[in-house]
Amino acid sequence: MENSKDRLILKILPYLGILAVLVIWELIVDLGIVPNTLLASPIQVVKLFFIKLNTADPDGAVLAVHIATSLKEALLGYSLALIIGIPLGLAMGWFVIVEGLARPIFEMIRPIPPVAWIPLAIFWFGIGLTGKAFIIWASGVVPCVINSFVGVRMTNPTFIRMARTYGASDWEIFKQICIPSALPMVFGGLQVALAASWTALVAAELIAADTGLGFLITMGRRLLMPDMIVLGMLMVGLTGVVIGVIVDKVEKRLVAGVRR
Amino acid sequence: MISANREAKVTVTNLTKSFGDLLVLNDVNFNVGDGEFLCIVGPTGCGKTTFLNLLSKLMPPSKGNICINGEIADPKKHNISFVFQEPSCLPWRTVKENIAYGMEVKKLPQQEIEERLEKTMKLVGLTDCANLYPNQISSSMEQRVAIARAFAAKPDLLLMDEPYGQLDVKLRYYLEDELIRIWQEFKTTVIFVTHNIEEAVYLAERVLILSNKPTTIKAELKVDLPRPRNFLDPEFVEIRKKVTELIRWW
Repeated sequence: MENSKDRLILKILPYLGILAVLVIWELIVDLGIVPNTLLASPIQVVKLFFIKLNTADPDGAVLAVHIATSLKEALLGYSLALIIGIPLGLAMGWFVIVEGLARPIFEMIRPIPPVAWIPLAIFWFGIGLTGKAFIIWASGVVPCVINSFVGVRMTNPTFIRMARTYGASDWEIFKQICIPSALPMVFGGLQVALAASWTALVAAELIAADTGLGFLITMGRRLLMPDMIVLGMLMVGLTGVVIGVIVDKVEKRLVAGVRR
Repeated sequence: MISANREAKVTVTNLTKSFGDLLVLNDVNFNVGDGEFLCIVGPTGCGKTTFLNLLSKLMPPSKGNICINGEIADPKKHNISFVFQEPSCLPWRTVKENIAYGMEVKKLPQQEIEERLEKTMKLVGLTDCANLYPNQISSSMEQRVAIARAFAAKPDLLLMDEPYGQLDVKLRYYLEDELIRIWQEFKTTVIFVTHNIEEAVYLAERVLILSNKPTTIKAELKVDLPRPRNFLDPEFVEIRKKVTELIRWW
């Protein structure tokens, strides 16, 4: 009995928390504690949300277009980060030659904040899809490489010795032992990379774009519409959560049985 | 050194290993007969692990060699299995897939793998957990999976490094009996390393006793008792005492 009651409370509490924040936020704005020109109330944001569903004004595009733009940029950059970062990291973890060649370059590029690439990216690719995909790639690829590398390095040495005594070749050990063993770390990296990519995306759009969620936020500032800023922020958050959940689902499917 | 009616399967000659100035293994010579169960005991820290690493070719020797069927041992050519002291089941493979691993590396035909899997799992009593993952079974079960995997590969030489070292005594007795059963079924050549004298005398056809570092073979004892052996049998006790005497370094 006690247990099911606890569980019920745990289920309700998060909703209560959100509701409380919304109510306090609404009151702060309604009572004029923070002037309406600086912060929009939740109700205003929701209203704008419905307006933006099918009105392109005043920023030039409906909400779906902004989301689609951001998603397209993020997914392109993110998948390129995975396609390049994971194999590179895994190979760096196992093959001495790859580590020797790639590690110094990687270590040199790693400390550069992805946002610092923005000016060059604009020079090279303009403010379109490619430029932003590049910035997202630059920020997503680092955690992919690091986690894959560490994942391979953390392979239980007994597993490797076991495979070796059966006569497995280096390549077989890499394929059959190191990669599956690194998977949980790799997926951890996917989540980190996702967060990094999403952050870089908004930063990139804040500076140079004509659609996208980051652009929506910038337009809110230019048009002095705090509700639009908040709406943009919320959409960035929500979309990020949805992608995170999808990555998590895929991960659970793929690493069944692996001890976490 | 081995029973007259058996051919030497494994020949170890002048095996020596040193790490820098530290001489760990000094000129070790012995043979293992085809299908023999050989136990190696020694005082703690006598370099048993180094010894096994050399035998399994995980480590190159400084001098000397290990030959299987007259050829220098090579994991890629010969069929060697190793059961480690620590759990070695791959967590992303089911029990069945784990047992199949050695055979997969050896690239046996799928049908052969299936047949051997069925036989081994039945022998080790793992048929019911074939599709469970290692984190769903107990650690003793995990060790049995490792042992099943080793035997299923039908190795020329099976090396065991205190596989039951971390299990409680009662379970150990049970698993030792099981081990003997599988060994009799598969007729595998086994080198079993342990620091448990009783276990050695219980399992072995022959016991090699190692000296302190630098390790050499100090003595060799035949254990010619009928199976299943009885820990209280005076003959058993006699042999155990002898081994204990030989192993004393204080």
